[in-house]
Amino acid sequence: MKIDEIRQGFGTLWDSVTEGWDRLRQSAAGALTRLRPGDDTALPAREHVDDTLWMPSAGWAMMGGEVFEDDDRLVVRLEAPGLEKEDFDVQVQGETLVVRGSKRFERESTEGRWRVMQCAYGAFQRTVPLPVPVRGEEARASYRNGVLRVELPKLAPGKPRTVSVQVG
Amino acid sequence: MNAVTQTRDTAATTAAREPALLPPVDVVEDATGITLYADLPGVPRENLHLRVEGDQLTLEAEMALALPQALQPQHAEVQLSRYRRGFTLSKELDAEKVSAELSQGVLRVRIPKAEHAQPRKIAVQVA
Repeated sequence: MKIDEIRQGFGTLWDSVTEGWDRLRQSAAGALTRLRPGDDTALPAREHVDDTLWMPSAGWAMMGGEVFEDDDRLVVRLEAPGLEKEDFDVQVQGETLVVRGSKRFERESTEGRWRVMQCAYGAFQRTVPLPVPVRGEEARASYRNGVLRVELPKLAPGKPRTVSVQVG
Repeated sequence: MNAVTQTRDTAATTAAREPALLPPVDVVEDATGITLYADLPGVPRENLHLRVEGDQLTLEAEMALALPQALQPQHAEVQLSRYRRGFTLSKELDAEKVSAELSQGVLRVRIPKAEHAQPRKIAVQVA
């Protein structure tokens, strides 16, 4: 397909980006985390946003999570781009890891019009069930490249448990 | 109005056909250019490839896990580790002057408008 044909097929600029947005919205149906903007999120005013599909009241983001395990520890990773490390509240509650955070809309430029708004902003909470008991007081967290990493020492070191269940 | 256009299938993107995530973007347009923000969590600077070929802007990035080999994955929600997205830049943008920075998983790309497309203030002399 030639670029010129794509252009013609797409018509005006923001329509075409909207087409991409539609795809994103389809994937957002399977998105994992809801973000709720509050006053401190500092979203742009509605009249400065041209993206007609933008919903300022709520955003959905993938924020994929992963749990890794070796003999001594669990490592939980959570994708959370665009925060500061102070924006996280990480708690171990029994055999659950609770991560709360707030992604603020902070942009140096307030002049201009927001043509496309697809990224999600606001407060979120993720609850990650842990497969084994951990020493919560020895947990350590770090934040790099937009990914939160929490390392949790196991209460009882040992290989990951596997139990086969007979299907009757 | 045609500042940047999402493209589906271009020469730049057909080269790499592996499945990839489509990163969400915010785009703001002001008098002197556009700024594009993209969420790319897990991508270190060396894994980010931003290319301009003609009027095509292509973003490709690879997440870096950086975990010890001994760790066994127990649970993973996103199986893909690659991001890709292409845009067509309008002629009023100056593709030669694209600048980009990456901070905590958020990419910021600034593309200025060509000088002839920028608003100009003309001093009026009183005769």
